[in-house]
Amino acid sequence: MASASRTNQEYSALTIAATRIGFLILLLALWWLASINVARNIIPSPLATYHAAGRLFSEGRLQQGLLDSVTVYLSGYGIAILIAIPLGVAMGAFNLFGRTLEIYVYALSATPRVAFIPLIIVLLGLGIEAKVFIVMLGAVMPILINTYAGVRQADPELIEMARSVGAGRLRIFSRIVIPGAIPYVIVGLRLGATIGLINTVVAELYTAVSGLGGLLAIYGNTFRMAEYFVIVLCLAAIGVVVTESLRIIENRLGRWRD
Amino acid sequence: MTPLAAGTPIEHAGTANTAARAPQLVFDHVNKAFGRSDGSSALALADVSLSIDDHKFVAVIGPSGCGKTTLLRIANGLIAPDSGTVSVKGRPPVPGPDTGFVFQGFRLIPWATVLGNVEFALETLDLSASERRDRANTYLELVGLTRWATSYPGQLSGGMKQRVALARALAGEPQMLLMDEPFASLDAQTRELMQIELLHIWNRRKPTVLFVTHSVDEALLLADTVVLMSTGRILEVIDVPLARPRQLDAARSDQDFITLRNHLWNRIRDLVLTDPASAFFGRELNQ
Ligand SMILES: Nc1ncnc2c1ncn2[C@@H]1O[C@H](COP(=O)(O)OP(=O)(O)O)[C@@H](O)[C@H]1O
Ligand SMILES: [Mg+2]
Repeated sequence: MASASRTNQEYSALTIAATRIGFLILLLALWWLASINVARNIIPSPLATYHAAGRLFSEGRLQQGLLDSVTVYLSGYGIAILIAIPLGVAMGAFNLFGRTLEIYVYALSATPRVAFIPLIIVLLGLGIEAKVFIVMLGAVMPILINTYAGVRQADPELIEMARSVGAGRLRIFSRIVIPGAIPYVIVGLRLGATIGLINTVVAELYTAVSGLGGLLAIYGNTFRMAEYFVIVLCLAAIGVVVTESLRIIENRLGRWRD
Repeated sequence: MTPLAAGTPIEHAGTANTAARAPQLVFDHVNKAFGRSDGSSALALADVSLSIDDHKFVAVIGPSGCGKTTLLRIANGLIAPDSGTVSVKGRPPVPGPDTGFVFQGFRLIPWATVLGNVEFALETLDLSASERRDRANTYLELVGLTRWATSYPGQLSGGMKQRVALARALAGEPQMLLMDEPFASLDAQTRELMQIELLHIWNRRKPTVLFVTHSVDEALLLADTVVLMSTGRILEVIDVPLARPRQLDAARSDQDFITLRNHLWNRIRDLVLTDPASAFFGRELNQ
C-alpha cells in the first residue's frame, strides 16, 4: 500500500499541509453555507460552534468529558493490546492451540458486541469497569485476528533460510516470524483503535452517562446543536490523534521499505 | 532426432577413496518423494548415489522439476531422505554455518540491513558481537558491498542482492557451498561478472561446491564435474577436462570442449523433448 503512493509524484510536506488547510477552509465554507440554508438551526454556524466550545471549556465540562472518555478509551484499548498480541502470537506459534481457538475467536468476533452490554452491566455494573470492558471487547478481536494471521503467514522460504544457517526455533520465531507479522499487527491495532473509540461512546451512552458520549446524549436530546457539534469534533480529533500516532509508529518500524 | 545417448553408468566422481579423508558429500541410494494434495506423490529423487570429494566444484544440470533443489536441501540436512543415506564428512548433514546455502531468489531478510543479513548467518558461531561484525564486514568487502552495509535489501539491484546472499553463505567459512541457480535471475552482464567473482572466491578457500544451473556454458566454465539429472535420477557424471583458469572464449575452439558442450546440449534437449511436463514435449526440433 505504501508503494502505491510512490508511483505518483511525491509532494513536499509543505505542499500537502497547504492543500489540507485549503480543504479545511473549503469545509468550513460549506459548513457555514449549510448552517444558513438549513432551517430551524439544526446546523450551527462555525462561529456559534466556536463560542459553544469556549463556553464548554470555561465551564470545565469539555476537559472533564475528554478526560473521562480518554481514560476509558485508552484503558480498554491498552488492555485489549496486552491480551490480543500475546494470545495471537501464541495461537500462531502453537498450531494446535491456534486451530482449536480460532473458530471461537471468529465466532465471537462475528457476534455484535453490543449484544453483551446488558450482561456486562449485570456483571460489572455501570461504572468505569463496565465501560473499559466494553471498549476492550471491541478492540481485542481485530488485534487478535490480525496478529494470529500475521504469525501464520510467515514466509516459509525465509524460515528455511534461517534453518540453513543453524537458527533454532526461538531465534527463527523472534527474528523472522515476529518481525514479519508486524504489518499485520499494525492493521489490527488501527482497526482496534477505531472500534475502541466507537465502543467508548457506546459504553458512555448505555451505562452510566459520562464523558464525551454522555455530553453527546445530553446536547443531542436537548437540541443544543452548537455544543453537540463541539463534542463530535472532539471525538474526531481523538480518532485522528490515535491513528496518526499509529501511522508514525508504523513508519518507524517500516523504514526498511523505503 | 538423435536417439538418447546411452547414459554412462553412474560413476562416483573421484573414486579416489584411497585418500585417508572421507569424501565431503556422499549420497547413497537416496530416495525422496513429496506428497501432492491429490494424495499421489511426486518422486523428486530416485536412487541417487553420488560422491563428491573435498574442494571440488560440481555443477548439477537438468530440466526443471528433476530434483536439483531437493538434492541441495537434503545435502544441507533441511529435509531428510525417505530412504538411503546422506553423509557430510562421514556424518549426517546438519544445517549450520559449516554449510553455506545460496537459495534461488536470494531469501534476504527484508527488514534487516545488508550487514544484518550477513550477521544473521553468524549467530550460531561462537563469536563476540564485534567479531561477528568484523567477519560480516570482511565478506561484504569481498563481494564489494561495503558501501551498502547499512542499506536494506529493497534498495539493492538483483546483482547486489545476489552478492549479499553469497556473502551470507560464505561468512560462516563453510566447508561446503550449496548454490541453487544463483545467477539465473541476473542479466547476462552481471551474471558473467558474478561467475568470475565466484571463481575468485572459491579459489581462496576452495569449499566443496554443489552448483545448480540450467546453463551448460555456466556449468562448463565453473565446474570440475557436471552431474546431469532427469526426473529424480542421475544420468551422467562427467569430468570437465579443461585447465583453469578457464575462459569460455578461448575454450570455444577447444575440441574437447566442443564435444562435451554438444553432448550436454543434445542430452538436455532430448530430455526436454521427451518430458511430458515440458512445453516442448513431442516437438520435432531438428536443426
Ligand atoms: N515441498 C514440496 N512439496 C511437494 N512437491 C515438491 C516439493 N519440493 C519439490 N517437489 C516436487 O519434487 C520434484 C523435484 O523438485 P525440485 O527439487 O524443486 O526440482 P528442480 O529444483 O530440479 O526444479 C518436482 O516434481 C516438484 O514438484
Ligand atoms: Mg529448483
